[in-house]
Amino acid sequence: MTEKPDSYEVAVERLEQIIDRLDSGQAGLRETLDLCREGRDLVTYCTAELDAVGEDLKELKLDELAEKLASSASPGSA
Amino acid sequence: MGETLEPHHIAAKAPELPGPFAVGRYARKLQEEMRRRARVLLIGEVTGVGRSKVQAYFELRDGEGAVPCAIWLDDLDKAGLPDGALRDGAEVVIAGGPDYYPGGGQASPSFSFRATHVRLAGEGDLLARLEALRKQLRAEGLFELQGQLRRPVLPKTIGVVTAEAGAARRDLLAGLRRRGWAGTVVWAFAPVQDRHAAPAITAAIQDLAARPQVEAIVVSRGGGSLADLWAFCDETLCRTVAMLRVPVISAVGHERDSTLIDDVAAVACSTPTHAAEAVVPLDCGVARLDLQRSIASLSRAAEGAVRARTPHLVALARGPARALRRERLALNQKTREIRAASERGLAERLDFQRRLATVVLERARRRAAGAEMERRRAALHRAEVALRAHEPERTLERGYALVEDREGEPVTDTAGAAAAERVRLRFADGSVGAKIEEGE
Repeated sequence: MTEKPDSYEVAVERLEQIIDRLDSGQAGLRETLDLCREGRDLVTYCTAELDAVGEDLKELKLDELAEKLASSASPGSA
Repeated sequence: MGETLEPHHIAAKAPELPGPFAVGRYARKLQEEMRRRARVLLIGEVTGVGRSKVQAYFELRDGEGAVPCAIWLDDLDKAGLPDGALRDGAEVVIAGGPDYYPGGGQASPSFSFRATHVRLAGEGDLLARLEALRKQLRAEGLFELQGQLRRPVLPKTIGVVTAEAGAARRDLLAGLRRRGWAGTVVWAFAPVQDRHAAPAITAAIQDLAARPQVEAIVVSRGGGSLADLWAFCDETLCRTVAMLRVPVISAVGHERDSTLIDDVAAVACSTPTHAAEAVVPLDCGVARLDLQRSIASLSRAAEGAVRARTPHLVALARGPARALRRERLALNQKTREIRAASERGLAERLDFQRRLATVVLERARRRAAGAEMERRRAALHRAEVALRAHEPERTLERGYALVEDREGEPVTDTAGAAAAERVRLRFADGSVGAKIEEGE
């Protein structure tokens, strides 16, 4: 993958630009293939982002979040 | 002490003021001054309620300050407040003016706002206060700050401030699930009823905002009267929200309710369901379909780009062979032309050289012929000289004489002379006849 996008919305915005450019028919062969490669990388990234919030909704209280972070920060206590 | 004065001596002498007056008299004058001041209505929260035998006293305060108040129990009774209504935390409107009790020989002096009427603050009073506060916060630019923050369309962790047992919690979760979102919700439960809840709500919001994982915060409460929702108009709470670097989505009360937190928050929603849509702007189910369409578009573009160019590519692929053939033909033609030209050139050069050789040879021959002639001429000359050396005339010139017979033939011996009888003697300058007379 090329450079990782900053966020989902940045990735989607770039993806829309790519598709607009491809739909315009003005891109040459090399550019088309490069854009398609970049677009597929962005789709992969976006899918991973959706998967990250696509399993089970987790509920924590604020102090539980603090405990969770503390335990993940010290591997020996996990 | 000499000439040096201590500072307090100077201070004691410096002011040129009226007096000194007797303090008791001055205190009574002060009371008169106070009582002459205009009577007004004050609104604020009651704290520190106490009672004596004749009056109730309390402080009336808001975020900016407080005034000690007192009301005669007779006036309080006339106000007709419900039992226990004048309690700490009650929002009241009082009528009255400033008063000063000058004290006495044993009693301490005191200042208070002497209330003659009191009533619980109504919606109109609260709205008036709300408008004043709203105007102030707007003037300070606090309404724009949250709106300038970037809101993630797909946060992984969101914080929620609400009542633990409220319906808002359930509605928000349902709204999030409808978005197809299943990230992490961090709850910061807090009381949400009336203005006393404000500090707890403020602290909960600050605690959530302090967690870097929390990408957005929802503050939610169901509907109620303005007094019920008053905590969300708290000045400290609203200033805190305005200054946060994490976007806050407010969902307090119903659509008709307008709390101050709605003005400072990044987004104001009318219900928890709307808040779910605001805090996770992306509908995850729709997003997945969009991504599938994107994949299809990309594949179509890639295949289309190659397919559209295939004839051209094929033509290009054939191009080199055709060009090679064309070039080869052209090359063969050139070769033939060059060969023909070179043969023609060779013949011409040969002919030229032949002609050149002929000329050269001719010249050589001529040069050679001249030399031969000279050589021969010299030889001839030498022969001629030699020959002339052998000519009889040369001999005759040296004094010899040639004997010839009558026929002119040379007589070279005595026998020939005897036979000829008559001979001619030839000298260089002519000849004379002679007669042979004696023999041997």
